[in-house]
Amino acid sequence: MASVTEYPPEPTRAFTGIKSIEDTATNTFVGLTYDKLDINASIDRVRSPKAGAIVVFVGTTRDNFEGKPITTLEYTTYPPLSLLTLSTIAKSLKTDNSHYLHSLSIIHRLGIVPISEDSIVITLSTSHRAEGWKIAEQCLEMVKDKVEIWKREWFVEGGVWRANRDGRQGVLEEEEEDDDDGEGEGGGVPVEYLEQEDR
Amino acid sequence: MTCTTSRHGKRFAIHYQLDFIYQKALKMASTFTVLYFASAHTYTGKSEDTVPGPMAISKLFPYLEEKYPGFRKKVLSSCALSVNLNYVDLIEDAEKEIQNGDEVGIIPPVSSG
Repeated sequence: MASVTEYPPEPTRAFTGIKSIEDTATNTFVGLTYDKLDINASIDRVRSPKAGAIVVFVGTTRDNFEGKPITTLEYTTYPPLSLLTLSTIAKSLKTDNSHYLHSLSIIHRLGIVPISEDSIVITLSTSHRAEGWKIAEQCLEMVKDKVEIWKREWFVEGGVWRANRDGRQGVLEEEEEDDDDGEGEGGGVPVEYLEQEDR
Repeated sequence: MTCTTSRHGKRFAIHYQLDFIYQKALKMASTFTVLYFASAHTYTGKSEDTVPGPMAISKLFPYLEEKYPGFRKKVLSSCALSVNLNYVDLIEDAEKEIQNGDEVGIIPPVSSG
């Protein structure tokens, strides 16, 4: 068993600063960064004279998974694809709520994110607060469901790649043949329980 | 390698660079790239492979399984596939060909937030 003080190596950074897609037609901004998230900058980015509310959601890194202590967390991504997906989500939210959603920003952090620091900041400005809460919730669910970013939780025994929802993507080709095998066998090994070697 | 103290050295450096680009172009002409993320990266121990193409989409997972035994059951079975940043359907697009120079992404179940 590895000692508690063992931390994963800092993963290679694919870029420095912030990689982003800004769409001026829809007033949406999405970005990825390895740096600490600047919440105030995200708030200022969505300010609008037409807005009566700015809703802020900040996701932070939890120190346990169902009670099991986590020493640190790490996020990795496929930058061009995750930015496209983030931008598609932001633009579709704007299109669906064009009359009262004025501006939207989503920033996700990558690399090692120490416990209790921020991993995602969603800010948006709306005419009134009620629709703001609703859109922020919807936005987070869409991001968690679709965006090609992966979280690895490090326990004392090593790292585990988490999945927000198992088996949603992809097709279990082997499972088709294994239909009668019942559960357990076949392709349905949940990735979240796949023990990973500590590399 | 980039000795630029003499004209000869400079010419050599340029020649070396051109050769590098040529070799890369040659490789791109006969292979496509497969990118590994998260559990796929951990399983293979690599961030990418170059695979000789063209290849039907249905042939890719068997090819990778041969290269990394157990990969299919443990990882690929729950993964989606992108070709040049567009998702492909493993059943509907099974006979479509991955072309040389393409960028294929192995996309495990996501976990942002």
